[in-house]
Amino acid sequence: MVFLRRAEPPQSSSALAAASATQSSSGFLPGALVDRPRLSARDISVYYADVQAITNVSMDVAQHEILALIGPSGCGKTTLLRTFNRMNDSVRGCRVTGNVIFDGEPIYRKGVDPVALRARMGIVFQKPNPFPKSIYDNVAYGPRLHGLVDRQAELDEVVEASLQRTGLWNEVKDRLHKPALSLSGGQQQRLCIARTIAIAPEIILMDEPCSALDPIATARIESLMRELARNHSIIIVTHNMQQAARVSDRTAYFHEGHLIEIGTTDQIFTTPEQSLTEDYITGRYG
Amino acid sequence: MNTLQLTVLLAGLAVLFFWLGRWRARQLARVQGGFKHLHSRPDYYGLVAALWVGLPSLLVLVIWWMLEDRVIAQIVLAALPEAMAPASAAQQELVLTRLRLINSGALLVPDGVHWQQATEQFRVLTERSQYGRQALVLALAVIAGALSWWRIRPAQAARTQIERLLHGFILLCTSLAVLTTAVIVLSVLFESLTFFQAVSPWTFLFGTQWSPQMAIRVEQIGASGAFGAVPLFVGTLMVAGIALVVAIPVGLMSAIYLSEYARPGVRDVLKPLLEVLAGIPTVVYGFFAALTMGPLVRDLFAGIGFDGVSPQSALAVGLVMGVMIIPVISSLSDDVIRAVPLSLRDASEGLGATRGETIRHVVLPAALPGIMGGILLATSRAIGETMIVLMAAGLAAHLTLNPLEAVTTVTVQIATLLIGDQAFDSPKTLAAFALGLLLFVTTLVLNLIALIIVRRYREQYD
Repeated sequence: MVFLRRAEPPQSSSALAAASATQSSSGFLPGALVDRPRLSARDISVYYADVQAITNVSMDVAQHEILALIGPSGCGKTTLLRTFNRMNDSVRGCRVTGNVIFDGEPIYRKGVDPVALRARMGIVFQKPNPFPKSIYDNVAYGPRLHGLVDRQAELDEVVEASLQRTGLWNEVKDRLHKPALSLSGGQQQRLCIARTIAIAPEIILMDEPCSALDPIATARIESLMRELARNHSIIIVTHNMQQAARVSDRTAYFHEGHLIEIGTTDQIFTTPEQSLTEDYITGRYG
Repeated sequence: MNTLQLTVLLAGLAVLFFWLGRWRARQLARVQGGFKHLHSRPDYYGLVAALWVGLPSLLVLVIWWMLEDRVIAQIVLAALPEAMAPASAAQQELVLTRLRLINSGALLVPDGVHWQQATEQFRVLTERSQYGRQALVLALAVIAGALSWWRIRPAQAARTQIERLLHGFILLCTSLAVLTTAVIVLSVLFESLTFFQAVSPWTFLFGTQWSPQMAIRVEQIGASGAFGAVPLFVGTLMVAGIALVVAIPVGLMSAIYLSEYARPGVRDVLKPLLEVLAGIPTVVYGFFAALTMGPLVRDLFAGIGFDGVSPQSALAVGLVMGVMIIPVISSLSDDVIRAVPLSLRDASEGLGATRGETIRHVVLPAALPGIMGGILLATSRAIGETMIVLMAAGLAAHLTLNPLEAVTTVTVQIATLLIGDQAFDSPKTLAAFALGLLLFVTTLVLNLIALIIVRRYREQYD
């Protein structure tokens, strides 16, 4: 299957209206809510200065699931992801309304420390961005920062365990103190994931983690994600539909800042209810 | 026609051939059916023709001009009769100078048939040389231009030729800068060697007495001269050190504020304001140090019980100099801090680091090479600064580590040594060159140390 991108979305406004109609009847899209959610977005809207990037998104993320956010470029997937751990706070002119409930607590409220929040919600970026330090120091960065360990031996253990879980240990154990930037792109991205899980986050946010990687490196990271999902909830933004179909439990489709459809990955990819979703996943649009 | 007129004529010819070459390239293109059949755009063909007119002829002109004088001199000298033949090189030079002056009309022809003959020969040779030069240069220009014009073909790689020439030109510019440095160093080096014949390097480097008063007349008393540079270097390092203690923290913190915390509007106002500090002439800093800071420091320390604080103290000078070099550090550091990629900050903040932790652990290490560069530049300025010290710290060279006393620095001594009525080859004057050499070596060593530090702690992010 080849996904071609077209500049102009076909008859999007009417389909968008139809999609919104489904939402307004119940308040939530069918499939948006789960039992005992780990993280819930409630009526989230995000504005960059005067431009609205996200419009009234409400959805849940379940314990230990992989949720894929898909949609054409500029549909607000990444913005939404960065809203979950308040990474947009430092973006000038960015304004968020609505709220995100994490562990029963709203995170957009006075008195919530975004720094502490981010320590519980790791994020992996599109481009591998290891620090220009040694491999060891990259993984040890978070634990040192948060004082998670008392002794050097414990730190060594955390570093080794994190590298083991990302399958990087055997490749780098003899050169832990070499620069991280000497690694290949795929290794760098796995190092970034190791760096993230070293602080034992409850949720891992991934922003197109494989878009800069070759198919072999991508396959490694996908199997790693399945592995990580035993202990973490993962939200992944991806442009690669096969990837969403392969790794995720549930999938959410976004269009121009609106959540159009959300449900189990099987259901979204086999029997989408919205025409916009269908167009996108069959490659007619996107 | 003098050399200037000849050059202008050459330039005119070059322009002419530019138009001709371009015109011919266009004609060729038209015959073939459009510009796309040319290897390069018509302008390039014109440029190649123009350069063929200009460059070889200019080269010949320069070479001729450099050799002309020497060749004529040799011929005239060889033709001089026994009676007038100069005995020494100095006499030879004297004769030639007289001939030149006579030729330019500044001197009258002295009596004597030999002088008249020599003068006449000199005049004729000079005139012939001038005509020959003009003829050769112009002929060369026209022939080279015509040949290159005639050889213009659609397939000629004119733009590649221009590119190669440009390459050579920029190489020339670069080597000019390097060469100048080498020449400066060598000239200082040779004068220093002369100095070290009079004063031993050991005394100079490790002597603790500096009083460069040499006797002008042989019988003059009380002026033996002592050339121990240690007090000067201690003074220099102390003043520069105080300046850096002020400038590094303040400059670095301002850079961090400007690049990481200030809103764009605030930054746009603050950064130019800070850079104004770098634009104040050092003389102005000098009287600020002498009239305001010096007395202030003295009063302050006298107030808390220090005796004998000089109004011309190293501390006052260092403080003012520190303010002067703040913008060097802050401006350069601000630029390199802002160049650290956003993705690294995102990574750090995504792991739950605060803004400050991110700056400390990620941004500053990544920006370190650039920051060190700024600090080095500031150090060089502090060490090389003359005017403030000259105006506010006095000239007395006594060895002290007390920043409340008056000190003097290497650069100030260089300046005062050369403003004197001493013969140029006296040790007093030559000492200036030795100090300059030592200063140069010092900054070189500082540069090397900084380079090694940067190599070791560098965190490359590309």
